[in-house]
Amino acid sequence: MNDRHASMQGRVQKFFSSILKSFKDFGYGIFRGLKRFVLGVKKRAVRFGKRFMDSSIFTKIAHVIMGVGQFARGQIIKGFIYLFIQFGFLFVLITSPTVNRTPIGFQALRNLVTLGTVEGDVFTPTDNSMLMMLFGVVTLGIIGIFIAAYSSNISSAYANDLLIREGKKVLSFKEDLAELFDSRFHVTMLTPAILGVIVFTILPTVFMILIAFTNFDSQHPAGQVLFDWVGFENFKTVFTGQGEVAVRFFPVLSWTLIWAFFATFSNYIAGILLALLINKKTIKLKKVWRTVFILTIAIPQFISLLAVRSILSEYGPINNLLITMGLTNSPISFLGTAQNPMTARASILFINLWVGIPYTMLMTSGILLNIPTDLYEAAQIDGATKRQAFLSITIPYIVFVTTPYLITSFVGNITSFNIIYLLTGGGPSVGGGYKAGSTDLLVTWLYKLTIDENEYNMGSVIGIFTFLITATGTLLSYRKSKAYKEEEAFQ
Amino acid sequence: MNKKLIFLLLILASAVMLIGCKKDAPLTIWVGTESVEFYQGVIEDYLVKYEEENGEAFPHTILVKGADTGSAAATYLEDTEAGPDIFTVAHDNLGKLIAGSSSIAPVTDAGLLAQIENDNPDTFKNVIKGSVGGQIYTFGVPYIAQSLVLYYNKDLISETQVQTWEGILEAAIAANKQALSLTGTDGFNNSFLLLATNVQTGTSSLKLYQGGDIQQNFVTGDDMVSVMKWGQRFFTHANGPKRPTDSGWQIELKDGISLSVISGAWHYNAAVSALGSKLGIVKLPTFTITSQDAYGSVTAGTQFQSGTFADAKMFVMKKNSKYQEYIQDIVKYLSSKEVQEQSYIAVQNLPAYKNAAIEFDSMTGDSLEAKLASAQIEMFEHGIPQPFGFDNRFNFYYYSKGGPDLILEILENKSGTTTGLFTSFDAIKAQLQLVENIWKTGNK
Repeated sequence: MNDRHASMQGRVQKFFSSILKSFKDFGYGIFRGLKRFVLGVKKRAVRFGKRFMDSSIFTKIAHVIMGVGQFARGQIIKGFIYLFIQFGFLFVLITSPTVNRTPIGFQALRNLVTLGTVEGDVFTPTDNSMLMMLFGVVTLGIIGIFIAAYSSNISSAYANDLLIREGKKVLSFKEDLAELFDSRFHVTMLTPAILGVIVFTILPTVFMILIAFTNFDSQHPAGQVLFDWVGFENFKTVFTGQGEVAVRFFPVLSWTLIWAFFATFSNYIAGILLALLINKKTIKLKKVWRTVFILTIAIPQFISLLAVRSILSEYGPINNLLITMGLTNSPISFLGTAQNPMTARASILFINLWVGIPYTMLMTSGILLNIPTDLYEAAQIDGATKRQAFLSITIPYIVFVTTPYLITSFVGNITSFNIIYLLTGGGPSVGGGYKAGSTDLLVTWLYKLTIDENEYNMGSVIGIFTFLITATGTLLSYRKSKAYKEEEAFQ
Repeated sequence: MNKKLIFLLLILASAVMLIGCKKDAPLTIWVGTESVEFYQGVIEDYLVKYEEENGEAFPHTILVKGADTGSAAATYLEDTEAGPDIFTVAHDNLGKLIAGSSSIAPVTDAGLLAQIENDNPDTFKNVIKGSVGGQIYTFGVPYIAQSLVLYYNKDLISETQVQTWEGILEAAIAANKQALSLTGTDGFNNSFLLLATNVQTGTSSLKLYQGGDIQQNFVTGDDMVSVMKWGQRFFTHANGPKRPTDSGWQIELKDGISLSVISGAWHYNAAVSALGSKLGIVKLPTFTITSQDAYGSVTAGTQFQSGTFADAKMFVMKKNSKYQEYIQDIVKYLSSKEVQEQSYIAVQNLPAYKNAAIEFDSMTGDSLEAKLASAQIEMFEHGIPQPFGFDNRFNFYYYSKGGPDLILEILENKSGTTTGLFTSFDAIKAQLQLVENIWKTGNK
């Protein structure tokens, strides 16, 4: 008895120390990353200086006037492209053209600091702080892209210097273009993708993060009232304030994590069991069964969810059936109007099985069909029973292959909007008149705060927390998984 | 070759994504989705009239589009530059539209100001104005009025019973149904109790942003406590009101689960489809305080009339519209008395015009539409316009900071799963004090 107790205590200790170690590793990883970044910048600065000293006079001039290094070597078109980029950049930066009465360029950088100064009146417009912040961020993006072009200009001019020193011929524009379709094809393909990531992912993310440091809320509508930087005030409110965000943040966060855990693992386990069942040799009409379950994927999820909500409603068929069978006297509220929050939570977890299992089932079926048969043959030769083969080959193989899926599924469930919004709308409501209901996840609460309440700053804070949780959880669990550590185990 | 092909396809795809055809935006008008066709016809008439008066065709294209009037203001505020030149909103949206330096233009045309002054009841004239920079301006032009009425099942509630909530409850008990279905639990749905007035005096101690002052709120008067206590008995009765369900009030009315619903003209078609020939429409009923409910100076037997928000939908204009020289004239035409009457005939929009009930022949008769109109007009006598247009915070504090949930807790006599919390008058008054605090500060 004592041994068992000690063993259990040891396991618990090991579990917590492994979590602590993970956080320690994570912190150390961030430190190493920052160190690498600083060293990288330093290294590039040194290389830039050395290259400047070593380069020809044309390349030196190209540090100030882009394209000179190319013009001097007969690369007229390329030189013009660089020169055009420089003039275009300087034109935008200096003249600061306006869109919707808000400038982009140098003025935008100044506006990014002030977020507007002109408080208009009923006939004249007020500075639009939101657009000013957005255009400030866009200008920073333009500067970043210009720096990349500038660096490319220097590299290209210096490469010309080296070719001439080696007595080789400088590439013509046509040859340069040909290179872009040959040895540098990856550059051709990746450039639009990288630009897309910058424009559609990085800039909006930076913009969203910056909003968390302002007082942009329902009392400061953009274009009508100026808003301003407030530092970490909004983050402080989450932990020390008196309002809804402070009171409801941790309950919503807890439910979000509980939901993500149960939604992920219930689907995962049930999906695997279903796949194993369908793939059993004795089961007939395997293809038919698979098709039946795949049909639930084929139907748009929101239609399935609305149909289920209707079926489970107070005067829907399920309640009618229960009343007819004499199992209940009055209708039961299963979802957003349920008397007990646990009823609603259990209901949505159950419904989530309906829409989630087929994905796991489908994937696991594919995996089961692809497990190398020689593994089973070897196990059979070694005298393993079917149960042992299942536990030592099938399960580890499935877990190994599906770990990344499991992680993405967990993260996906943290940000699972449709199921909550369409089934319960976040309800049942909690006492005290708070917007965040019993089944609201961080993401549905964020939606209510921003779209319904226009509390953009607090929504942004919650968005940042959600991102930190998902990013940290994903990185930690993936780095701990065998799929990461033993990448070649099943290859 | 393949790489070149991929590259060209990539360029083509990027071009398709990035190239946009930008034309000069037409003069755009947003009206309620149910009225788009009607107002398209009205604009065609306007264009003919313009040409007759000016000897030349209207120089720009006018586009009439449908918008959800409930969310039109929010949609407009998301991007005012891209927003319409004229649009329709409920008057209580004025606060958010004119916050700070205002996103909409004030009415400056003398002819339009005169039309507003002459054609509208005083209640509406007071709620279409707002202060920007310390100066009062008229921002909205009312053209549709609306108030809450009672849609009920004529087969199960008699004409006498429907005049009082007690009568309706009696009918519900007899039929073993619910007396009322709630369409929601927001601040609009509890207004029939909150805005109730003493039948004898026609008054209430309630103050809701009186005079546009955030401090002028009062909900803890004896009459309000008594009304809430009466409401609590009504709501907690086995045959009392039915909280909103996932099935929806239409199903409940249609399937005979409940006998009535409080709503506005916007739910008229849904009510007709739910009850058909069984549908009755009347003004909201009265209720009588009993000895169980009487508190302080209120005595048993005091009768209260259910209240309502008597609202106006109004046209507003974009600030700095490039069609500034035309839009006031168009609004003047769209909100004219004649167009309001046509609008009532075509799409049952209750006119905001003050003498509509007397001057418009179309509003007399025995049709359901006429009953809807007359019930709304009757309710106007017992209603107040939503007083939220003066300041951006009012609407927000009243609807979105938890006040309605606290009132529902009193009515259901519970918070969360704990029941009996608001049995005593003191507990009710304390909870009402929290509501009042929210109205004043946004916090309990």
